[in-house]
Amino acid sequence: MYPFGKGKARLIPYLYLSIPLLLYVVFGFGPSLVTILFSFTDATGVRGQEWSFIGFENYKTFFGASNAGDRMDAIGRSLYFAFAVVIIQNAVGLFIAILINKKLRGDKLYRAVFFLPVVLGVTVSGLIWQLVANPLGGPAQSFLKFFGTSSNFFGDYNIAFELIIFVQIWMYMGYSMTIFLAGLQSIPSDLYEAGYMDGASGWKAFTNITFPMIAPAFTVNMLLSIIGALQTFDIIYVLTGGKFNTTTLAFDVYATAFGTGTADYGLASAVAMIQFLFVFTISMVALFYLRRREVEA
Amino acid sequence: MKQSQTSRMVSYVIVLLMLALYVFPLFYLFNVSMKTQTEYLLNPVALTEGIRLENFSEAWNKGNFSQYMWNSVLYTGMSTLLTLILSIFAAFPLARRYVKFSTLIYIFFLISMYLPNPLIPQFSLINNLGLYNTQIGYILLKTTGTGIAFLMFVGYIKSISRELDEAAAMDGCGYTRYLFTILVPLMKPILATGIILTAIGVWNDIIGPTIYLSDPNYQPVTKGLFTFYGQYMNNWPLLACGILIVTLPLVVLYVALQRFIVGGAMAGAVKS
Repeated sequence: MYPFGKGKARLIPYLYLSIPLLLYVVFGFGPSLVTILFSFTDATGVRGQEWSFIGFENYKTFFGASNAGDRMDAIGRSLYFAFAVVIIQNAVGLFIAILINKKLRGDKLYRAVFFLPVVLGVTVSGLIWQLVANPLGGPAQSFLKFFGTSSNFFGDYNIAFELIIFVQIWMYMGYSMTIFLAGLQSIPSDLYEAGYMDGASGWKAFTNITFPMIAPAFTVNMLLSIIGALQTFDIIYVLTGGKFNTTTLAFDVYATAFGTGTADYGLASAVAMIQFLFVFTISMVALFYLRRREVEA
Repeated sequence: MKQSQTSRMVSYVIVLLMLALYVFPLFYLFNVSMKTQTEYLLNPVALTEGIRLENFSEAWNKGNFSQYMWNSVLYTGMSTLLTLILSIFAAFPLARRYVKFSTLIYIFFLISMYLPNPLIPQFSLINNLGLYNTQIGYILLKTTGTGIAFLMFVGYIKSISRELDEAAAMDGCGYTRYLFTILVPLMKPILATGIILTAIGVWNDIIGPTIYLSDPNYQPVTKGLFTFYGQYMNNWPLLACGILIVTLPLVVLYVALQRFIVGGAMAGAVKS
């Protein structure tokens, strides 16, 4: 029961809670719902201009316009980005976490350094890699030269997108690793001793003890990286600005609404809705499977 | 359990290789920042011939970093403070179920992760409220009581004994006074992590300022650095100094508060 008085005093928590609630409804939840509405209109960024409902026109435009090929590429690339980031980031993060958990000397330093890019942020991290991958004689170029080849890196249509994926994983590997480490450190060591008695060591111990025990950390990491990867585009903005075949759905939303000379809010909202359907479907499917695994464990 | 000597060696080798992948770019950045432009053009990867701290003051002045830094401090400080207060306002009654439909409201806050991208209507709204290109508007946008700090607080408050509320109330302590004089001091560790994670998010945002702040006088340091990059694309020693100027305060802060940051990343992720 509420201990802080009766009558008017009972209303104070409601009063305080109403401030964040209002802020969320006005600036977050509300605009999210309006996105659905916008996606069926021809609204633009021009102030005072009339707008009207046009049904599914924006969606038709998305799938049928002259640049539909580009849009489809963006969908494909979003899925590729998410798939690569989720798999590699978590695999590497888990692997490194297991190694560090062997009580290597200097473990605190490793953890701090691997987490550092999260603190530095996307602008600094992005520019650092621009510097390293400077086509005019940067260290990455010198490295390739050693093997008798060269590259334009972020200016190369064939590999710019893969390099963005690399930088994204470089930035957030430490985050996944940190969460895995927390999971690993919560496993009591006598579990392994008991397992050892039963003949479970090495890979067997990993699949039968470690993996089930870190199931919650696994769920969190998978969900965070799926949602993050499908919605991230600041890294693309910093590294290529969407040029050189690096546009994803999330970047497309931004470019359609705020890119130079477009401001097509209706179409951009439709793209946002398509992006939402991907995020929602994929994360729900993942959640379903991961939760089921947790229960079994 | 004993591990074989070789498996330990292999672990070290892999982790140290990984470490190199993280440390090398930073080392290279520092090396470039110490060079003259000619030195860089002649051989970008060679070690610098000397320490040139004057590069930094040149970058500081040319990049207008004092203005950008001040803006970043203002935005990050104000919105983090407000976010923390609002997060406590929301987390305490929901964690204790002191309001009706607590669970429902909590879920309502949580689903923001899955909702359609609000960017476009949000921008129209800010525009129509006359908050575009204003510092107050930007701080307001970055202030939320439902972010990662809120999620962490709910989990933490549940671990604080409920009897404390009752005891304090018996002694005549009101709701507001309880929040600020009893609850807040008890929440110190989680407050620290909440502050840091919120601040990192606001400080590092690049898309927000790009959309909402076109006036260079109002832009934070991320946007300032990016503009600087656009202007001096071919002068990497100067740019490297710019990047380091932006990096340095963050690294210092990170080293000082490391245990809170890493701990917070875990608490925030596992409890949400």
